[in-house]
Amino acid sequence: MSAPEPSKIIQEEKNPRGIPKALFINDVEEYLGGPAAEVEKVLSAFQDALAKYRYMDSNLTQRRRGLEDKIPDIKKTLRMVEYLQGRREGKKTAPADDEDDLEDDLEDEDDDEPPKPLTTTFELADTLFAEAEIEETDTVYLWLGANVMLSYKIPVAIELLQSKLDAAQTSLNNTVEDLEFLREQLTVMEVNTARVYNWDVKRRRDRKDNESAVEVNVE
Amino acid sequence: ISQLAQEEENDDANEVTWEDQKKINTFSKLNTRIQNIKEKMEELMVQKEALDDLANELELVDEDEPVLYKVGEAFLHLSHPRAVRRLTKDTAAVDQEIATLVGRSEACEEEMKQLKVALYAKFGSAINLDE
Repeated sequence: MSAPEPSKIIQEEKNPRGIPKALFINDVEEYLGGPAAEVEKVLSAFQDALAKYRYMDSNLTQRRRGLEDKIPDIKKTLRMVEYLQGRREGKKTAPADDEDDLEDDLEDEDDDEPPKPLTTTFELADTLFAEAEIEETDTVYLWLGANVMLSYKIPVAIELLQSKLDAAQTSLNNTVEDLEFLREQLTVMEVNTARVYNWDVKRRRDRKDNESAVEVNVE
Repeated sequence: ISQLAQEEENDDANEVTWEDQKKINTFSKLNTRIQNIKEKMEELMVQKEALDDLANELELVDEDEPVLYKVGEAFLHLSHPRAVRRLTKDTAAVDQEIATLVGRSEACEEEMKQLKVALYAKFGSAINLDE
């Protein structure tokens, strides 16, 4: 008499991004279908499910790392463009703008003269730097990847960078949420595996005890 | 995998209920979360150290000399006062981030402690919640 097939360990229910939920076994014996149930198939199905979840986990971890690398880069670019914006605003407007570090009580000379030209030392090649004077400009060029660079007016550039940053941050949050969800499903599966295994160990030992009890009675 | 002696084995009265499973799940989730927070904290501490060193250097340097201040990947030539101001802003930002992370990690630890008490009470040596 073979036990009925245990219900699927990976359920239909999914999280917002399509990761299926793992079934929590309330009663091991009930799930397996009785004291005569075979655990090998069940355990190997569990191992499959665990392998799938672990695979998803490593994918998402990689994606998270990619995003965590990208976000500081976007922030750096944004800072630089905001600095350029700040300088332009400092030149056009009257003094006393709090966030603008061009205007300050300490810098009296800025009220009368234009700010010093923007000198930078930038990376010309790996470990090689060069000095450059940056002219007044209202345009920046943004590298979009895939050998494509576009020119943008500074305010538009700031908007674009900010929106890219927000999108990356949202994506990162979603990925972290997915990873936590995966961790829960992995834990459920691991506990399921442990309990089925323990149940089997106990059953074998009980069977052996019963057999030796029968032998004793027969003697 | 060693087998517990029969006397030490938990009897069926110690079945894992859905409530227990939820607690175990939460513990595992918090554990992973706190690992990540610790990693980020280390990075931030390195940044903060660099900024602190920078503050010390700026005090010693000649105040008329321009300071090459790193913004993004390039260096801007800033006057000493502007550099100091920018540094103060940047340091405050990093301090803020560190404070947020410390708050989060303390909350995690608190919850984990409570879960440990509950789970060890029920499962004793059948569960391991420590490194």
